[in-house]
This record gives sequence, C-alpha cells and structure tokens, in this order.
Amino acid sequence: MNQVWRIAVKVAASVAVIVAAASVTFFAQLAVPGDRATALMNLQTGQEKLWTAQELAPLNERFGFDDPILLQYLHYLGGLFQGDLGTSYTQKRPVADVIGGQLPPSLILTVAALVVAWLLALGMTLLTVRRGRFLSGLGSAWEALTASLPHYWVGVVLLVVFAVQLRMFPIIGGTSAWGSVLPVLTLAIPLAGFLGQVTRDEFVQVLRQPFVTTARSRGMSDLGVRVRHVLRHAVLPAITLSGWALGALVSGAVITENIFGRPGIGQVLVTAVNTRDLPTVSGIVLVVAAVYVVANLLVDLAYAAIDPRLARGAR
Amino acid sequence: MSALSWPLRARAWAWRDRLPSLGTTLSLLVVGFVVIAAIAPALLTDRSPTAIDLTSTLLPPSWQHPFGTDDAGRDLLTRVIYGSRLSLGIGIGATALAFLIATVLGFAAALSGGAVDAVITRVIEVAFAFPALLLGLLVITIRGPSLATEIIAVGIGSAPGYARMVRGQVLAVRQAGFMEAAAALGHRRLPIWRRHLFPNAMRPLVAVVTLGIGQSIVWASGLSFLGLGVPPPSPEWGALLDAGRLHITTSWWLEILPGLVIVLVALSVTALGRTLQNRLGGASR
Amino acid sequence: MTRSRRRVALAVAALLAGGALTACGGAAGTSGGAPTTGGTIIYGHVQEPPCIFGGWIQQAYISRQVLDGLVAMADDGAVKPWLATEWKVSPDGTKYTFTLKDGVKFTDGTPVDAAAVAWNFDYWENHGGNSTAKVSIDPYYKAAKALDATHVEISLNKPYPPFLPLITQGYFGIQSPTAFKSRTEKENCEKPIGSGGFVVKEWKHGEEVVLTKNPGYASWPANARHEGPAIVDEVRWKFVADGVSRYASLSTGESHVVYEVPTVNWKDAQARYQTIRYITPGKPVSFYINTKVGPFSDKLVRQAFAYGADRKAAVEAGFHGVIPYEGNPAVSQATPGYDAEVAKAYAFDPAKAGQLLDQAGWTARDAAGVRTKNGAPLTVKLVYGAGFIFTQEGSTVLQVLQEQWKQIGFDVKLIPATQAELWGGKYSDPSTFDATPSYWTSPSSAILWIVWRPSTPDNPNFSNRSFFNNETLSQTIQQANGEADAAKANDLYGQAQKIIQDDAAGIGLYTQNSTYAVARNLKDVWLEKSQGEPVFSDAYFTK
Repeated sequence: MNQVWRIAVKVAASVAVIVAAASVTFFAQLAVPGDRATALMNLQTGQEKLWTAQELAPLNERFGFDDPILLQYLHYLGGLFQGDLGTSYTQKRPVADVIGGQLPPSLILTVAALVVAWLLALGMTLLTVRRGRFLSGLGSAWEALTASLPHYWVGVVLLVVFAVQLRMFPIIGGTSAWGSVLPVLTLAIPLAGFLGQVTRDEFVQVLRQPFVTTARSRGMSDLGVRVRHVLRHAVLPAITLSGWALGALVSGAVITENIFGRPGIGQVLVTAVNTRDLPTVSGIVLVVAAVYVVANLLVDLAYAAIDPRLARGAR
Repeated sequence: MSALSWPLRARAWAWRDRLPSLGTTLSLLVVGFVVIAAIAPALLTDRSPTAIDLTSTLLPPSWQHPFGTDDAGRDLLTRVIYGSRLSLGIGIGATALAFLIATVLGFAAALSGGAVDAVITRVIEVAFAFPALLLGLLVITIRGPSLATEIIAVGIGSAPGYARMVRGQVLAVRQAGFMEAAAALGHRRLPIWRRHLFPNAMRPLVAVVTLGIGQSIVWASGLSFLGLGVPPPSPEWGALLDAGRLHITTSWWLEILPGLVIVLVALSVTALGRTLQNRLGGASR
Repeated sequence: MTRSRRRVALAVAALLAGGALTACGGAAGTSGGAPTTGGTIIYGHVQEPPCIFGGWIQQAYISRQVLDGLVAMADDGAVKPWLATEWKVSPDGTKYTFTLKDGVKFTDGTPVDAAAVAWNFDYWENHGGNSTAKVSIDPYYKAAKALDATHVEISLNKPYPPFLPLITQGYFGIQSPTAFKSRTEKENCEKPIGSGGFVVKEWKHGEEVVLTKNPGYASWPANARHEGPAIVDEVRWKFVADGVSRYASLSTGESHVVYEVPTVNWKDAQARYQTIRYITPGKPVSFYINTKVGPFSDKLVRQAFAYGADRKAAVEAGFHGVIPYEGNPAVSQATPGYDAEVAKAYAFDPAKAGQLLDQAGWTARDAAGVRTKNGAPLTVKLVYGAGFIFTQEGSTVLQVLQEQWKQIGFDVKLIPATQAELWGGKYSDPSTFDATPSYWTSPSSAILWIVWRPSTPDNPNFSNRSFFNNETLSQTIQQANGEADAAKANDLYGQAQKIIQDDAAGIGLYTQNSTYAVARNLKDVWLEKSQGEPVFSDAYFTK
C-alpha cells in the first residue's frame, strides 16, 4: 500500500514538473517583445513592418490574442488536461501533429547517441584504466579532449571529411540508417568523453576497494574482475548522468539536425521560437520534459537493478 | 551524485603529486596565454582585429598571417587573440552567474528544509527538464542578441545543475560531525554557517567551477554558431566559427583553426579543473 | 536560415553550360545527350515554408509547381497566355476581360472556369487569402466577375498598366474553390489543388515535399519549353539549410538542382555544372534611411553616409565578386523602368563626405575619432535581419562598410535582429533604428508606390521605412502607375528614383539574386521571369 502511495506521489510530481515546464514556456514567450499577430502577418508576407488594427483583427480574433493573458493561459491549460496541445499558429495543424511527426527521428537520434556514447565510454574505460601510465594517460587525454569538443564543430568536420571528401556517408542522409551515422557520432563523441571521465574516476576508486583484491585472490581474470565487479559499481554515477545527458542531447540535436539537414524536433523548435508559434514551443518543451522525466524514472530503475542496496529507496 | 560524500576521503599525498604533470604545465601555458590575450591583446599583436584589407582576402596561413585572413582581409590570428577577452569573459561571466543563482537556491533549499526545500527542488527539477539551448533561445528572443544576453543565456542554462550540487553539498556538510559539535558548543547559527558551512560546502565546488568555464565557452560558441551570439564585427570565437562555416571546403583555416583554439582552451581549463579537483578532493557531478 | 527571397527572376541568366554560352534566356542547358522520359529530380532548396501557398516568396516558389496563373511573363518581359488564352483591356484601362483556355481541369476534376478565377481574386483580396497578392494590386483592384464559363472580368478603380505583369507572380496561382471549401485548413495548407504540372503527393515535414506529375496537365504557359505534361515523374523538393551540404550534395549525385549556391563555390559551380544567376527586379537590397528621427533627419548627413563608404568594393568582397553592386536604392537594374544614371550617384568620396559632415555641424571628434556635435557622438544604429535577410556573406559586407564609415567619423552600431524581433515589430518605431537594409521583389517599378507612398494618419504606409513623405514623389509615382505609354511611364519612374536618390532617403547596396546550379545531365530547368521560381515541368534527363 505504502509502495503504491509512493508511486502515485512520484507520478503526480512528474506530471506537475511537465505542466510547469510548459507553463513557464508559455509565459516566457509572452515576454518576448512585439506582437504575435504582427509576427504572423510578417511571416505570411515576408515583411518586417507594422500592420493596421484592421489587418490584424482576423488573427487576433482567431487565436484570441486580445484576451486577457490569464484567460489565454487557462484556455491553454484546460486544453492540456484534455490532451490537446493546441493548434500551431503557422502550420495550421494540431501541435500534437507537428511534434508527432518530428519526434521519432529526434528520439532515435538522441537515444542512439546515448547508446553509442556509452559503448565508446565503457570500451575506453575497460581498455585503459590502470593499464600502465601510458594507456591510462592516453585514455584520460582522449576523454578530456572529446569532452571539450563543440557539437557543431564536430558535425561540420565529420560532414566535410567523411561525407564530402571521402564520400563514405550520404550528405543529405535524412533519417536513413546510413545517413544517421554521422549525426549520431556528432552527438555521441563529446558525450562519450563526459561519461568516460566520470566512469573512469569511479573505476579507479572501486579498483582500490578490498573486494576487488578478494576477487583477484580467488583467481579471477583481470577482465573478469573489471567487467563483473568493478564496472557494476563504476557506472552508477554515469547512469545518473545519463538522465541529464538526454536533456543535453536535445540541445545538441538542434544543432546537429541543422547541420545535417535532418528532420527533427530541433528544426521545428528554432523555427517556432523565431515565428513566435507559442503553442508549438510550449508543446515541444512539454514533450521534452516528459521524455526527461521518463528517462529519469528509468535511471532510477537501472540504478536499483545494478545496485540492489538502493532498491529500497536508500537514496 | 554519488561522489558528494563528505568528509572527503583522506588521501596520502605522495611527493610526486605535488609537482605539476606535463599535461598540467601545458594547460597552464595555454590558459596563461589566453588570459594575457584577454587582458592585453596588444602585447601579442600590433594589428587591429577589425582592420580590413580588401587586397589580401582569404589568404591561407603563412608567416605573415599564421592563421590566414578572412574575406574582408582581416588577420584571423589577431581576431582570435582579441576574441579571447569576449569568449573568456562569457565563460567566466556565465559560470559566475550560474553559481550565484545556484548558491542562493542551493543554500536556501538545504537550510530551510521542509516546504521551501521541496518547492526549490521542484523548480530545479523543472529547469532541468528544460533543454538548455531552449532557455538560451528564449532569453535571446526576449532580449535580443548581445554580449550580456549571451552571458545570461548560458548562465541560466547551466544554473540548475550547479544548484543541485550545492544543495547536496550543503546537506552533506550540515550533517557532518563538526557542525553538530559547533552547535553543541553553543555557537550561534549565522557565524557557524559563515565560518564552517559555507567554506566546507563550497570548497569542493571550486574545481567544478573551473570545469564549468570550459563548458560555458563551448556552449556560448554554440549559440553564436546559430547566429544568436555577440553582434559583429566582434571576433568572439563562436562568431568566427559561424563565419567560417561556409568556407570550410574552400578556405579551411577559417573554420578549423578557431575551432581548434576553442577545443584547446576548453581542454586546458578542464585539465586544470581536474587537477584542482584531485588536489582538493571533491565533487564530481 | 535564409528567409525570404521575394525575388523575381529577370531574364538575366548568362549561363555557362559546360563552358559554352547558351543563347536562351533563363534556362539551364538545352543541348547534348539523348533525352529520356521519367526519373526523379532531387532539388535542394533552403527554407521550408509553413504552407505550400501564401504571400511569402518561399511559398510562391513551390506553389508555382502546383498552381497555374492566368498569365505568364516571358524572358523579354512580355505578358503571355497561360490559363487565359487572351485578354482585352477596356479603352479607359479599368476593365480586363480574360478568355480562359477551354477544358482545363483542376486535379480534383472540377473545371478551371471563370467562376473559379473570380473566386480566387475575391479570396486574395477580401478573405485574407494572400496578403502579398493583395498589396500588389490593392488600391486599384475593384472586383472580379464571371461573365460566362470562360470569360472573367476584373475591374479596377483607376487605370493600372502594371496590373498584368504583377499577376504573373506565383502569388496569383489559381486554386480549386471546390477543394478549398470542402477540405480542412490543414489539407489546403499542405496539398492545395490547382491545375499545375505537379501535385503534392506527400510533405515530410522537416525533410522534403514530394511532387508527382499531373498526367492530365493541359495548361502549360505559352512560354513553356515543351507542350504536354511534365517529362519527369517526380520532383523531391528537399530542404537543406546548410550551404555546404546543399552544394556538396550535387557532387555526390544526391541532388540534381540546388538553390542558393554559396558565393565562395560559384566559380567551381560554373566549371562543373550548369549555372543560373537571376537578378531580381523590384527594390534591391538597399538601406531605408530614417529621415524622421536621429542624425539622418539632416539630409547632409544622409548624403555623407552615402559618399562615405566604398559600397561597391564591400559588396564585391563580401560576395566574392558574384553578386552585383546596386547603386540605385529604389529599384534594381533588372526592373523595367530602372534609371542607370540615378545609380551612379554617390560614388565613394570620403573627402566629400567629410565636407558634408562639417557643413552639417559635425565638426569635432572625440577620443575614438567619432564626430560629435554639441557633445553628442555621431552614432548610427544599423539594424539588420541576421541569418535570414543577411547571410554570413551579407554580414561581411556590413562589417567592411562599418570600418569605412568609421574612417570618416561615423560610429555605426551593427544590430543583428532575430526573426522574432524583426517580425514581431521591435524595430518598427522610428526611434529604434537609423538605417535598415531590406528588399522587396516585384516585376514592376510599381513597387515604388508600395514602398514610398506617403504615410498619413488616415492611411498609414508601414512599408515606408524611411518615413519619407514627399508629395512630388507621390504625385510622380501615381502618374507613372496610370500611364499607358510604357516609355512615358518609365520616364516618370526614373524621375521618382532620382527624387529618392537625391534626397538620400535610401542608399543602394546590392541586387537580390537567385543562384542555381544544375547537374549536367538535367536539361531545360528554367526560372520563370517574374519572380525566379524554378520550373521543372519541362525538364528532362539525358543519358
């Protein structure tokens, strides 16, 4: 019973976080100087001028821009609880539609990047930690270097080297598997540096623990010890980081999608912010926040699976 | 948040640890160079970062122009040198802002406890669920692109992560034995906080700050790359990258060299931060 | 992230196809290789519009593939039959009677009849259908009426000879009223129904619009390169914002046509592909100078500003010699009625600029070398749309100019404005800027009226961003707009340009251009002349 209550509280809190994120976005966008109807008229005509009240009236009427802000917000909130994210001002279709189409490619991109980053980080850690000064040094240097790489720069360089010059990958890859390789790497390489650094620190600490010596004395192979005992503990902080990383990846995805001309939520977001398409921006934030919350729930589960001590909520 | 344990593990300091390693030395050199460039760029070059010369545009790197020239004939190395004040300033300014916000929130949450703590923790949680880039975009659309905007955008974007750390540190330190001892000795709360809690909670975060500066530089250049950074003709590094992007297949130096500089500086600052972290012992994320 | 391109393509297009200069105007390559039918053209465009049709040039580009217009503009500027086979103008110049081609059907099977055409005009003018179409003909348009199934009459308030060239623009594409009224807004936005050479099959947002050929196409314009439905089966209209990727995709065969070739790659493109460069008519990229508030309310300071920088050299540097300098702030060299003499004014003369500033009282200089008057520095707020109106290349031009203006004592602040700021109206008030560059394409000098009509409280003109209310100018343009004799009209338009230039109410910079690179095995891709919309229905691959 207690367990059920705890889960209920957790879910309620998560929903609150999601709705709050969307609400903050809603109000932040109202703080943007300028008038939404004017922006829409200018978008529709490619102008940058003022319009007469008469010209703006139909838009104000249609989207309720003239209503008190509180009323607009309540209207939006009411929609949210009915599962309606509103209608895009610019694309004239439901926001759920706008986002729905663009979400899968972005999710695939970020999740793939997270997986690849994990593989790279783990590989690097297993192979180089405490393997002598040279290898260890190389490993940390590599991690520090990759963690310092700006996404966009990696993207541009990868694109030019591997797609334009060597022609190993398509330039306009869209969402095809082969075309996704470079965008995924663009996001994964810097992240792998981060995860690697954290895992390495922990790995070194754990290797010093007595149970490691015990395991070794039982005649376990070095790799066996590393994988079965040490890794298990060493990945915990990095797993925590993964929840955070997913948020960071969404930011990186905006840039990556831009460089590789890949469809996704990032492109939609930048356009929507620029055109003051308030429901779309709020909707995207809502979805990203939801993904973040779910990811962190998963992190908790992974944590418990890896470290049974934590299963009973010792955190 | 596993490593936020306090007191930190006691460590045997071998004499070797006291000498800076090769990596640290090189990092110090790079950072020192950039700091000089930021404070007194004229010491390093006698050219002007905005002086145009339409007779020598798009020249590849040479002795005369070690980083080549751009399409207005400006010397790229000079621009990179003058840009370090901006980029470093944004890095430091944004990190400072982020820490200021984080310290206020973190301390308030940890020390108040109860409902206040719950609310602040939720706020941090909400901010965390926000993609940092979106925060940046929103700040920029509200304020318009400028140096201050970029600092605010990056600062606000990275504050929640730090706030969480500060709160964790304060909670950990508060439960430490010496705090209870001080209270038991009848010391008043405020002096205890000032003398014990604050320094002990913040010390491990010094290294994190250093790490944050490197990341802020990278982030700020990301905003500039989206064309949302410091207005031209400022040679902020991200703006240089943005300008070089179209040239990458024809005049590679315009994109590659400023990029390498950002990586090198971020790497050096990070390396120093980690050295510091090892010396002080301390908080990772 | 380039917005815009309200560009109109003029004949132009000197194109080097495989090193050989082709004689034919705006088309890419017409000879060599055995023609084939079928295939898919992959076209790399820059920006994705919110809907397929609308008043933004980005929408006109793509709606041209799907919707037909009443009339088309030939490379020599003559208006040719399209959906209308012929037309009559009443002797007083206020009634246009169009005869429609018989038997043409929209792709939903309904007929393209006079009622449908009249409905479209009414939709643009009175129901918010297309605000750019509306503003082009607004003060003159009165009503549209179907006389019978094949005759439609458009009546005007006053004679307006530019009416015909103006309606050749893509904004005036005719849609099926039946489809429009019976379908949802979303369907109309994504898949408008016209009678054009292609139909929208699918819009993968963020990636591409897939257009398939309309096998029953029967209404090609008189200036089409071939008669009959499209030769290729499909056009994949891809959105590739990054210039490097877009151009490089040609070399790997991932695209066959790309829009907006980066100027650094132009020479390479000329050597490897067929290239088309169109200079757009209408207002070029020129500065609106705020004549109402600030330092530029003094005409002498405006003129000093114009003299004070080598705009030609700056444009050549920023655009790597590809895009032409335009000294005429009012209309570009591709516009009918353009006055070349007017363009020659204010050639770079720093001494003269200094003299004018002295004369205007800006004699002292502060420590930084900025001129001052009564202690106030000569600061100029130059606001520009960063990343969408001005690409990186344009931004270089502004930085070069800024440095030159500094030499004569102007402290020019470059203020990049985001789309949200500019479109939201942050820089609309006269107090917010001193100069702002912008363009507006139009196939006629009648654009002068749209931009320079005096703004009055009763009838404000927010397009007049110089806040320049000049009665003589107003009279001259109105007279020109109503003048039936083209030579006389052009003479009047020339006078109008001179008034604007003499007063330095605007300062010229460069022409707005469309550049295209086309793979060598794809022939007969051409740009229609009024706006530079690419036309793919005549294109074919060669073996």
